Amino acid sequence: MKRTIFRNQLLPWLLLAPQLAITFIFFLWPAGQAIRQSFLREDAFGIKSSFVGLANFRGLLDSAEYLNSLKVTAVFAVSVTVMSMGVALLLAVAVDRMLKSARVYTTLLVWPYAVAPAVAGILWWFIFNPTVGVMPYVLEVVGYDWNHISSKTDAMILVVIASAWKQISYNFLFFVAGLQAIPASMREAAAIDGAGPVRRFFDITFPLLSPTTFFLLVVNIVYAMFETFAVIDATTEGGPAQATNIMVYKVYFDGFIGQNIGSSAAQSVILMLIVITLTVIQFRYVEKRVEY
Amino acid sequence: MASITLDNLGKIYPGGTRAVGDVNIDIADGEFIVLVGPSGCGKSTLLRMVAGLESITEGEVRIGDRVVNRIEPADRDIAMVFQNYALYPHMSVRQNLAYGLKNRRTPRAEIERRVTEAAEILQIGPFLDRKPRALSGGQRQRVAMGRAIVREPAAFLFDEPLSNLDAKLRVQMRLEIKELQRRLRTTSLYVTHDQLEAMTLADRLVVLNGGRVEQIGTPLEVYRKPASAFVAGFIGSPAMNLLDARAVPHLPGTAHAGTIGIRPEDLSIAANGPIEMEVTAVEELGAQRLVHGLTGGEAITITLPPDAPLSETLRLGFDRGNLHLFQRETGARIN
Repeated sequence: MKRTIFRNQLLPWLLLAPQLAITFIFFLWPAGQAIRQSFLREDAFGIKSSFVGLANFRGLLDSAEYLNSLKVTAVFAVSVTVMSMGVALLLAVAVDRMLKSARVYTTLLVWPYAVAPAVAGILWWFIFNPTVGVMPYVLEVVGYDWNHISSKTDAMILVVIASAWKQISYNFLFFVAGLQAIPASMREAAAIDGAGPVRRFFDITFPLLSPTTFFLLVVNIVYAMFETFAVIDATTEGGPAQATNIMVYKVYFDGFIGQNIGSSAAQSVILMLIVITLTVIQFRYVEKRVEY
Repeated sequence: MASITLDNLGKIYPGGTRAVGDVNIDIADGEFIVLVGPSGCGKSTLLRMVAGLESITEGEVRIGDRVVNRIEPADRDIAMVFQNYALYPHMSVRQNLAYGLKNRRTPRAEIERRVTEAAEILQIGPFLDRKPRALSGGQRQRVAMGRAIVREPAAFLFDEPLSNLDAKLRVQMRLEIKELQRRLRTTSLYVTHDQLEAMTLADRLVVLNGGRVEQIGTPLEVYRKPASAFVAGFIGSPAMNLLDARAVPHLPGTAHAGTIGIRPEDLSIAANGPIEMEVTAVEELGAQRLVHGLTGGEAITITLPPDAPLSETLRLGFDRGNLHLFQRETGARIN
């Protein structure tokens, strides 16, 4: 990298100022506020707040509802990640094998990424709507009575599909790029070495894709935990019976609807910690093993 | 081990472009054949058709007495060394060598034996547990060879295996490949664009141009009696002088020829020789001197001993037996 020496001490700070201001105002300050509020309790009218120490956190860990939300979030995040990455990899491998019109398919497959999460939620909500939807009609033919308004499982499946669908495009692009970076001669060598298409994929292609895969793993888990708020809000609103109330939705619900600012802030802090931990684990330990 | 026969082999791509046509080569068991030609002449395509990595649109490939046109690469009993080596970067050298055997369900003890043996032949024993990226270019090249050797295949296919190495290493590896092939007596098909590599390695050369075979023969046959003006200009360094007969009408023994070829080393300074050369540049190579110039507007080169006297114009003579005469239109040899 090229190093520039500034004679003026002030100039580099001025050049950095816009980025620093944005980081501070939109990231550090709200995060700081959340941390501060997680130690406070507001009175019923929101007039004054008092310091309560770790009471908000203790309350959360004692709450069955919160522990349920943790579990729901885990199931949801893992399902979304596995589904969106699995389908994306399948599509990417299919496109990579194509000689013609691979570009057309790539372009088409990228479109869902441009759809806003809330719209994606509504879209799937309609498709799976027990009254007017297409899928419940089809499922009824095979003998399944779909109802995500009363069935916890159905509700979870709906939000997972709606959330994963959007992310498939993103993963697909990265997988296609990753696949194209693998030299064709590698696969040809494996073919001569007696590996069939399936073996070739698992022995050669998939290991060589692992840097892409692990990167996407982090991105997708973070996406599932944080950016799926709109999908949940547009479809199940956390229901039925807390079955799809993932942590990020509960933060919003307890804070803005329930007006329990202290508890909501404490939940944000826990979420923050989880994501920091996840990211550190992935990049520190897992990435090292992926190198080849 | 086996012979390989290419029978009227041809390749036309779906768009209608012809890459290779009318190729007939009989490769004897244990023979080292080099396919040589300029880039785009179809030599790699030809090799890949034998390997099964490229479909065959015309003719037949036989390995042993089996037609392999529709047989998967894995079942053709061949091993290939790629230009970029194509080593599996996430596997150790040992795993790289063993992979083909493992896929064929070779017993573990047998794999171990063959890997150890190949490692010994190629002197890569100390690196068996390293990953390819921890190896130098020459070592990687050896691992790629090792991967072919352990399979004990009917034939080796080499696709420009030395072109990623530096000049010195290339000469060394060239020798090693030749020695190895002599020792193992495995039928080999080797692709290169480097005519020197082709000359030194081959039992027989196949010179390709525009997807067609120009000449098949031993290196000396091809060198001494090139079948066409193309081969004449391609094989030999410095390249043969090819003069338009109209530019030098007075040369003796050149009647009916369109193109007259004479190698730089077959020209000599002669006080009343038939060629007058106007010197334009001199290259000192130490052991000899390369003199470039013009005669009748045509470029001409001569090799001279390093102490030969030079002047602005030289008169050159030659032995008539060293002349190569070619037809103007087809470039075919006529003498």
